[in-house]
Amino acid sequence: MAFCNEIGNRLAWLFRRSRFDKELEEEVRFHIQARADELEQAGLTGADALRQARREFGSTLRSREETRSAWQIRWLEDLGSDLHYAARALRRNRALALAAVASLALGIGANTTIFSVAREALFSEPSCRDPQSLVQISVSGNTWIPMPQYRFLEDAHAFDRLAGMNIQMVVNWRDGNRSYRLAGTRVTDNFFEVTGIPVAMGRPIERGESDVAVITHGFWTRHLDGDPNVVGRTLELDGKPYTVVGVLPRDHRMLAGFGFTPDLYLTKDPIEVMLYARLPRGMTRQAAYARLKPICREMDRVYPDVNRKWAKEIRLSAVGGVERLEEYGQGAISAVAFFGMLVVVTAIVVLIACANVSSLLLARAFTRSREFAIRMSLGGSRGRLVRQLLAESLLLALLGTGAGLLLNLWLTRLLSGVHIPTPLPIELLLQPDRMLLAYSVVIAFVVTLATGLVPALKGTRAGIGGALKEGGRQTGPAGYTLRNALVIGQLAVSILLLSAGLLFLRNLMYATSFNAGFDTTHTVTAIFQTVGGTYTPQRFAALVDTALERLRALPGVEAASPASAVPLNPFLAFNRPGGRFRPDAGSRTVRVEYNSNAVGPEYFRVMGIPILQGRAFADSDGLGTPPVVILNENLARRLFGNTNTVGHILRFPDNRDVRVVGVARNSKYATLGEDNAMALYESYSQQNHTSFVHFIVRTRGAPETMARKVNETLAGLDAAAAVETHTMGEIFAGALLPSRVGAAILGSMALFGLLLASIGLYGVLLYATQQRIREIGIRVALGATPGNVFAMVVGQSLRLVAAGVVIGLTVAAVAVRPLSMFLVPEVRPADPMNFVAVAFVLALVAGLATVAPTARALRVDPAVALRHE
Amino acid sequence: MESNPIPELLPGTLYLLILRTLSHGPLHGYAIVKRIKDASREGLRIEDGSLYPALNRMLVKGWLTSEWGVSENHRKARFYKLTPEGRKQLDKEAGEFDRLVRAIQLVMRTA
Repeated sequence: MAFCNEIGNRLAWLFRRSRFDKELEEEVRFHIQARADELEQAGLTGADALRQARREFGSTLRSREETRSAWQIRWLEDLGSDLHYAARALRRNRALALAAVASLALGIGANTTIFSVAREALFSEPSCRDPQSLVQISVSGNTWIPMPQYRFLEDAHAFDRLAGMNIQMVVNWRDGNRSYRLAGTRVTDNFFEVTGIPVAMGRPIERGESDVAVITHGFWTRHLDGDPNVVGRTLELDGKPYTVVGVLPRDHRMLAGFGFTPDLYLTKDPIEVMLYARLPRGMTRQAAYARLKPICREMDRVYPDVNRKWAKEIRLSAVGGVERLEEYGQGAISAVAFFGMLVVVTAIVVLIACANVSSLLLARAFTRSREFAIRMSLGGSRGRLVRQLLAESLLLALLGTGAGLLLNLWLTRLLSGVHIPTPLPIELLLQPDRMLLAYSVVIAFVVTLATGLVPALKGTRAGIGGALKEGGRQTGPAGYTLRNALVIGQLAVSILLLSAGLLFLRNLMYATSFNAGFDTTHTVTAIFQTVGGTYTPQRFAALVDTALERLRALPGVEAASPASAVPLNPFLAFNRPGGRFRPDAGSRTVRVEYNSNAVGPEYFRVMGIPILQGRAFADSDGLGTPPVVILNENLARRLFGNTNTVGHILRFPDNRDVRVVGVARNSKYATLGEDNAMALYESYSQQNHTSFVHFIVRTRGAPETMARKVNETLAGLDAAAAVETHTMGEIFAGALLPSRVGAAILGSMALFGLLLASIGLYGVLLYATQQRIREIGIRVALGATPGNVFAMVVGQSLRLVAAGVVIGLTVAAVAVRPLSMFLVPEVRPADPMNFVAVAFVLALVAGLATVAPTARALRVDPAVALRHE
Repeated sequence: MESNPIPELLPGTLYLLILRTLSHGPLHGYAIVKRIKDASREGLRIEDGSLYPALNRMLVKGWLTSEWGVSENHRKARFYKLTPEGRKQLDKEAGEFDRLVRAIQLVMRTA
C-alpha cells in the first residue's frame, strides 16, 4: 500500500518537474536569506552575512541534484532518454527504420491474426453461466445419445440438471411465399435453464414450453432486418408456428465451439442429443462419473444393444478449452495442426524480418564501436551501453508490434464478417482481448531480444584498446561472421518456407485441375426438403417422380436423378457407415467403412461416372424387387478381390442380402484429399424417403443459366418445401476452399520470407563491399582484373547461398513431411522435384540480390578508393 | 568550541528529528534546522545541504506534505506538515530509538 503510494507520488512528480526545479531554487534562496537575516541581526553587514550564509549552505547544485534524485525513478528516466535517443537515431535513417518496422509489422500482423482466429475457433469459452461446473457427457464413447436413453438418464435423476441439444438440424422456414432452410439447434425445454446462456432481448426458453424459439443476433439482423418488435413474433418453422421469445447477444458463442452459429434454437425433441449436465456445487467429475456409471449399467439392462454398451467409455468433459477439442477427435487434431503450422510459418517470417533488423543494428553497432570504447574507457558501464542499444531494438519492436496489431485489427474485422455456409454455419467473432495483448507483449519482447541482444553484446565487447587502436575502421571478423550466419539462417528458413509454400501451391494446382472422377462442368444440384411429416413414403416417391419428369421436360436438360448425397458437398456430408460385411453371404466377414449414397438410374450418366462392370440401376429396381447395389472399384476389390463382382450377393451387417449389379469407377466423395475411398450405391427407389432428396441435373449448355429454372421447377411442386440450387462448379469451389486458403497464406508468406531474405543478403553483400572498397582499390591498383573483383563478391554470395541452401534443404526434407496430412495424396512432400525447384528459385533471387553489390565493387576506382582514407 | 566539534548524526536519525520537530505544527526548512539546533542547545546541527534531500524523500514516502506560505519576516516560504502517516512513522521510530538508546546505555553502564 505504502509502496503504491510512493510509486504514485513519483509518477505524479514526473509531470511537474520544471515547476519543481523552480520551487526548489526559490526554497533554497529563502533558506540562505533567512540565515543571512539572522547573521545580520547578530552584527554582520548585509553582504558579509549573505556570503557567510552561502558558505554555510554549501553547494546548492549538489543539494538540488540530491533532492531531485529523491523523486526520480532512475531506470524509467534512463529508458525515456534511451528511447528518445533511439528515436532520433531511427529518424535519421527513416527509410531503413520504415522498412524494418513494415517487415516486422507484416509478419506480426499475420502471426497475431492466425493466433486470434485459432484462439477463437479452437479455445474460446462458450457463452453460458459458470462454464466450470457445466460438463458434456458422452456414453459408450459417443457424444450423441438417443432420446429414449436421454429420458432414462433424466428419470434416473443422474443429475438434477441435465439437458440435451442437437446442432445438426435443418429447419424449413416459410416467410411469405418463400421457404428457406435454416440451421436450427433443437434443445430440450430446460436447456437454457441448465446452461444459463444469456439472452440480449426477451427471455430464454423456459421449462415446460413448446413451440418457442430463441433466435441468434445474426439471423435477426440478416433475415428479420433487426425488427425491434421481434419478441412475440411468430415464425412458421417446419409448417408449425413458433413464437420468438428471445434474441441472443451478438457475441453469443455456442457450446459446440468452432465458431458454429445456428440461426435459431427451438424446442423440439430431436432423435438424438448431445448431453450436458450442470454438476452440483462441489461435485468433482470423478464423483459425477461414479454416479453415472451404475445408472448406465442399468440402462444396458433396460436397453440392450449389440453395438453399444452404454456403461462403456463414459466421459465427462469441459465445455471449453482443450478438453472440448479432445472430444472432437481427429477433425480437431488436424485443425489444431493446421493452425499450429500457420503460426510456425508466420513466426518464421517474423524471425527472418528480425534477422534483417539485427543485421542492420549489428552493422551500426560496429561502426560505433570506437565511440563505445571511448565511453567505456571514461567509466561508462557496459550494461548502460547495452541498454542503450537495446532501446533501439525495443523501439523498433514496439513500432512493429503496434503496426502489426493494427493490421490484426483490420484483418480480424474483415474475417469476423465472414459467414461460412456449412450445414451448421461458421461465423467467428474475433475481438481483440487481453490474451492477444499478452501475446503481442511476448512477441515484442522476443523481437527486441532477437534483434537487439546480439548486436548490443557484440558491439560493446570490442576491447577498449583494440577498438581505439585500429581507428574504429575495422569492423572485425566477429561482425562479418555473425552477419553471415544471420544471412545463412535466413536463406535456410526461406528454403523451408518455400518448400511448404510450393507444396500447397502444387496441391491447389492439382486439386483445381485434377479429375474428381465425375463431371463438374455441366451439372446442377438442388437440395429439396419438405416439411417433416407431410408425406408418406409413397406420396414422397410420387413427388420425386413428378419432379424428375418436370426437370427432364425442361429444354436444355439431358438427364436428371435423385440422390441422397452429393459428392464434395459442404452442405451435407456423406453418410459414412461401416461394419462387417459377408461377401456371397458366406462365413468370411470383411470390415469396411464406405461412403453411402442412394441414387436413381440416370445418376451415373448425369455425373459422368462410367459403369465398368455390369449395369447402372434401372427403373425396374423399385420397391418390392430384390435389392441391388453398385460398388465402386475400391470396395469391389476389397470385398471380392479381383474377380468379376457382378452377380455376387453381399450380406450387410444387419443381415440384409443384396445383389451386386455393377461396379462404378472410383471418384471423390467426401473430400478432395481422400485416398482409396470406398463407396456403395443403393437404388433410390428401393428405399423409403419422406422429406429429403437431392436432384442432380445434367445440362446441355452452361449450368449457371439452368440453375434458376431448376429452382423454379422444384419450388412449384410444394410451396412449403425449401429448395436450394447450386451448380456443381460452386460446390467444387467450396471443396477447394481449404486448398485455396492454405496456398494463399503459405504462398504469400513464402514469397514475403524470400523477399526479406534476399534483402538481407543484399544488405550484407553491399556492406561487405563498402567495407572493402580500400582493399579492392589496392587489389585493382596491383593488377587485379574486373574478373578477380567479380569473383570476390560473387564468391562470397555463392558461399552464403550454398550454405543456406544445404542447411535449408536438410531441414526442409524432414520438416515438410508432416504436411502430407493437409495435401492430396498425389502431392508428395518428399518429392525431390520440389526441392530442386525451391533451390533454383532461391538461387535465382539470390543472384538478383548480388547484382548491385557486384556492380558497386566493379566501379571501384583505385585512385579514389585510396584517397578515401 | 573547536576542540569539541558537533557530533555526527546517527544514521537514520535525521528523519526522526524532522518528524519530531514538525509534530507541533508546520514549519519551513530553515525553521526546522533552527528548531533542532536550539532544542539540542547547539549540540546537533543539520547540514543545510542534506536537509532538502531528506525532506523530499519524506515527501515521496508520504510522511509530509508541503505548502507555500508566508514566513515570520514576510517572505514566501515552503512549509512542511506532518501527515497522519508521518505521525505513525514518528511514533514507530521514536519507540525504536528509545529502545536503542536504552540498550546502548545499559551496555555502557554495565559492561
